[in-house]
Amino acid sequence: MKKTKMKWMVLAGAAVSAMALAQDSENRVTVAFSNPNRPRVLVVNQVQGSVAVRGYNGKDAIIEGSHVGERRRDSDGHGGMHRIDQPGGMDITENDNTITIHGDFMHSSNITVQVPVETSLKLKTVNGGKISVEGVSGDVEADNTNGSVVVTDVSGSVVASSTNGKVTVSLTKVTPNKSMSFSSMNGTVDVTLPADTKANLRMRTDNGEIWSDFDVKVDGARPSQSIDTREGHHRIRIDKTIYGSINGGGPEIQLVTFNGSIFLRKK
Amino acid sequence: MTSPMSCDDAKGLFAEYWSGSLGEREEIAFEAHIAQCEACRRDADQLGALWRNLELIPAEEPGPGVRARFYDSLAAFRQGMESAPKRSLRDRLMALWPAQPAWQMAISFALLVIGVGAGYELRPGAAKIAPDGQESSQIAQLRGEIGNMRQMVALSLLQQQSAGERLRGVSYAYQVPASDTQMLSALLATVNTDPNVNVRLAAVDALRAFGSSPVMRTAVIQSIRKQDQPMVQIELIDLLVDLHETDARPELEKIAADGQINEAVREHAKVAMEKLR
Repeated sequence: MKKTKMKWMVLAGAAVSAMALAQDSENRVTVAFSNPNRPRVLVVNQVQGSVAVRGYNGKDAIIEGSHVGERRRDSDGHGGMHRIDQPGGMDITENDNTITIHGDFMHSSNITVQVPVETSLKLKTVNGGKISVEGVSGDVEADNTNGSVVVTDVSGSVVASSTNGKVTVSLTKVTPNKSMSFSSMNGTVDVTLPADTKANLRMRTDNGEIWSDFDVKVDGARPSQSIDTREGHHRIRIDKTIYGSINGGGPEIQLVTFNGSIFLRKK
Repeated sequence: MTSPMSCDDAKGLFAEYWSGSLGEREEIAFEAHIAQCEACRRDADQLGALWRNLELIPAEEPGPGVRARFYDSLAAFRQGMESAPKRSLRDRLMALWPAQPAWQMAISFALLVIGVGAGYELRPGAAKIAPDGQESSQIAQLRGEIGNMRQMVALSLLQQQSAGERLRGVSYAYQVPASDTQMLSALLATVNTDPNVNVRLAAVDALRAFGSSPVMRTAVIQSIRKQDQPMVQIELIDLLVDLHETDARPELEKIAADGQINEAVREHAKVAMEKLR
């Protein structure tokens, strides 16, 4: 039997000394991914404030946090002392190659993270800012409530939603066979895919329009699948949902908005 | 060996443990780990249920329309294959292959059962002796077993950590028979509890295939006010309208009057009540 592996659990509190060593400025923390045999995952759970993640050419996560509306005077120092609490009131843990960051519930803070390019992301915030992702390769999940979601230059797959903001996603390369979904209640859903992307589409908007420069083959038969024949009468659905396919069909891609429009763009 | 077992080691041994092929010392270490590790115990329970179910793979009772439906799904499958992205067979198979040894064992075992069953049923001579009715029942049985495989894959995908994988599980749900109550309850659980709004939206759409199920209709009516996402609430209301579910009216009335609920949803409920008159 394999020798028991050491548990890699870096609790923020327990690891203050290690973190302090890795701090290269007062509001910046470098956290290593501990298990190179597992896929890298970054999880950010934010309540107040924005989340920005960018891929860079390195192997650690570089995390920066800043309180909003607080003048940063830490560098002034307090009589030569250095700050040892975590920036932006974040709580950071690392476990088996997953780094999890919980934002401060009480104060608004903006979290910026640089990650190695090949990292999957699960990002969430509620108020006070957008979620932005740039230049990573992996599976990206982003959920915002009152701000927008902007994903650019990503290869892999994306599942993104916002209640009141725009969802703008641009993929340079799509992982074959992965389902994707983009939704907003009140914002526009704007998705750019490589020209050769194969997919089955479900698109719905109530009060907006649907636009695409893809050659979308609209599937006329599918909505009628929900015809109710219980009482022997046929109900033909004439609604705002369009089923279709691009490049001959493939995995499901869902684009849903109620008050916004849908743009499906070809790269 | 005295060192305690890690979660990764334990997970790798599930299949061997259930099949009774662990050594005594490993078995004791495994049981000790399961006794003290809640996460592994939960995994063991879930996988164990599937493991036991494999022994009970039911042979579907063929109804009169089974033969026609089989050829329909065969045609749909062919169409799907033709329109699917041109990837090598190896890639496709690899994409379906789960990383957990217990799932691998489970699927291998199911394939073995199907293979032996098919081999037996299709052996030379069998078809010649069998009258027509029996031949179609063999096809129906195979079809049922393929349905079970799809269901297994879909159910396992719905439990994944990644929202993308769970979305894939939902799209598999379109391919299992609408009579599949286990699939239906898994979809309803997804609609009610999945943390990702996109997965919930996709699951609501997949429920359309189960339109004739009264269980589904009741569950959808009850789900609306449990949702915290207006998008999902509106999709659920639309589903009830499409199904012409007049029993939804009392609940829609409550929703329309509930000041806690998003205004657009309340408006939607009002319109839906008009349509369900």
